[in-house]
Amino acid sequence: MDKKRRILKLGFLILALLVSIATLYAAETSPQVTQVTEQTVGMSPLTFFIILLVVTTLMGIFAVLAGVGGGVIFTPIMMGFTPIDSYIIRTTGLFVAMSGALVAARPFLKRGITNVRILFMAAVPYGVFCIIGALLAGYIHATMGVTGEALVRGTLGIIVIAIGLLFVFAGGRAEWPEVKEVDGFTEKMALDMGYWEDSLNKVVDYKVTRAWLGIILFCGVGLISGMFGLGAGWAMVPVFNLVMLAPLKVAATCSKVLISIGDTAAIWPYIAGGGMFALFAVPCMIGLIGGTLIGARIMLKIKAGFVRWLIIVIMFFAGIRLLMKAAKMLHWM
Amino acid sequence: MEQRPKPPISGVIYGEFAFWFAIIGMVIGTIGAIWYLMGGPHVMDPQVFLSHLLQGDTAEEIWQATTGHPITYGHWYLHKISFSDAFALLGVGICCLAAVVGMWGAFIGMLFSAEEKARRMYTLYLFLILIMAIILTLSAIGVISLHH
Repeated sequence: MDKKRRILKLGFLILALLVSIATLYAAETSPQVTQVTEQTVGMSPLTFFIILLVVTTLMGIFAVLAGVGGGVIFTPIMMGFTPIDSYIIRTTGLFVAMSGALVAARPFLKRGITNVRILFMAAVPYGVFCIIGALLAGYIHATMGVTGEALVRGTLGIIVIAIGLLFVFAGGRAEWPEVKEVDGFTEKMALDMGYWEDSLNKVVDYKVTRAWLGIILFCGVGLISGMFGLGAGWAMVPVFNLVMLAPLKVAATCSKVLISIGDTAAIWPYIAGGGMFALFAVPCMIGLIGGTLIGARIMLKIKAGFVRWLIIVIMFFAGIRLLMKAAKMLHWM
Repeated sequence: MEQRPKPPISGVIYGEFAFWFAIIGMVIGTIGAIWYLMGGPHVMDPQVFLSHLLQGDTAEEIWQATTGHPITYGHWYLHKISFSDAFALLGVGICCLAAVVGMWGAFIGMLFSAEEKARRMYTLYLFLILIMAIILTLSAIGVISLHH
């Protein structure tokens, strides 16, 4: 049964990749593409605001239904399917991921589900490397011109496809992973805690392990998040849950709160660098947060397994489109 | 019947500050954006901005085309609050300030919390929060920045 599922997943993956490449190649070589871009330039600011609001609201709804953060789909889609400069998109991407996380953090912390010790331990490496990523992005943007832009889009394309693959194959998260042995470093850090689990109507006391490895991994996650303006819940939850063996609920809430801290550290260099514009940032912020709230309500009423697959296909589309754009910029296509 | 554990005060304070600052920032940002769309006084002409944004121009090119001068680095909007787009960006700035204020609140909360003081490695975590609060502050005031 498991083998059959794997073959099905693989078949779906190959089909999605083939369809994505074929569609995008056809679209890229069509002369209509340039006409569409020219037409949109004549759009009024109000129309642009409304279109952006609707599109980002839909992104927020689908993201929640698929169990991912809005920030992780906003940047690749915008970079893959709009002509807008990547530096501006990354600035706004970080902002929307951060603002969504800031609003979501409160109930988790108020109910004590988020482990503040794990949070503050991870915040320093994640935040510092987020800033390094943001500065690196600014440096590439300022010094490498079109090659830098192509490099950023191409690397993001690979990352987005890798995230899509992660969603397809890494389904094995554990609700309450069993910690058999706690290493010396983690023991010294005193990260063990308890939280009230409503579904069990009791306190769940838990331990975590491999904090040292978590710290190393958070450096890498922070760098990617800061450099590409992505929310990083897709990477943080597996680090907390599969590496450090924190309960899934704790992992998910820690990840949300950590995004609010780390992305704040990275957003300021982007703002100070002049990459934030009100007419682009505000509708994206309202749309994604509004969409997330609507999506959370819809999720309670419907079974939305297919949406996850839809998001995966969109991510493959965006990833391949980014790679094609990068290849075009480098005159490889 | 088991009792619900009390949430750490540092986390609760961070959550409250972060939430309310973010909400205030979002409201101001939204008011500013609506004012901007209604034709309020502005630093960047919205139509010119949009046209250059959708042409794929860089931030530098957009600044040059809309304001006639290169990018004003740092918190330029603070000096132009009477303009609608600067007012909207003030809202964005307040939203981005939420975690900075929240982190200082968490530090003060942990500093005076008897429950947290009683736990092992209290000093280490107090120090970690302080480091993060300082990093966020330095980033927010523009000490950590890249002026290209």
